[in-house]
Amino acid sequence: MNILSIAILTAALLLIVTGLYMLVRTHNMIRIIIAVEVAMKAITLLLAYAGWLNGQTALSQAFVVTIIVMEVVVAVVAAGLAISSFRKNGDLDIRRLNKLNG
Amino acid sequence: MTTFVIVLCLVLMVGFALSAAMLRSMLKSAVSLAAMSAALAVILYMMGAVWAALFELSVCVGLITVVFISAISLTTPDRRDEAHTKDHRQRFAALPFILIAAGVALIAVLVSTGFYLPQPGEEAVAEAAFNQVLWQTRQADILGQILILLAGAFAVVVLFKEGRKI
Repeated sequence: MNILSIAILTAALLLIVTGLYMLVRTHNMIRIIIAVEVAMKAITLLLAYAGWLNGQTALSQAFVVTIIVMEVVVAVVAAGLAISSFRKNGDLDIRRLNKLNG
Repeated sequence: MTTFVIVLCLVLMVGFALSAAMLRSMLKSAVSLAAMSAALAVILYMMGAVWAALFELSVCVGLITVVFISAISLTTPDRRDEAHTKDHRQRFAALPFILIAAGVALIAVLVSTGFYLPQPGEEAVAEAAFNQVLWQTRQADILGQILILLAGAFAVVVLFKEGRKI
């Protein structure tokens, strides 16, 4: 197995672990969005690498573009939720998100 | 040369991800995330995914960072948030050690089991152009993307809708 494969697989795993650890250890909504983004970068990396390995770069690019669109929508909607929660509760604690109603 | 640049960018990506997690300032975390996206864009470019790199650079480094900075500036932390961030470094102190352990464990497993992946281009097939794949093969994805974008726009409108005064 070549060094590049090991490096990419290891980096992807580390990014996923970092994202999951952030998700578990924080209650701040902005940080939670950042954690999701970090984990999604790992998925983007793995998809691009799979396309590169199989010689199907165009297909993997189509998937990567789809993931990027999803990342944007997730970030925008979650940031909107965070702002709404802040206006209602005065902080960004996700444990108070259930107070948003109406 | 390609291998060196990709490995360098991978190291940068993990480093910026770590700093995004561990930095106390959310603004600096957002900038670290942008830097991580920039490193990923370089990797995508080196792998030949030029269009994906372009999207990553313009959307993730540009647009998402603007969204984060706007959200951070609109949610200026109060005293309670400052109290939450006081133990932030302590909370994430274990993360570097967890990452080192996970990395060493994965490398050990990969090396000991002789896990094999083909070299890039080893199993190359006749490849279509990106626009051809996107517009002809993955039409359903484009429809899904449009629907996701519309749903996102609708969600933002609903979230920022002014309540009716009674």
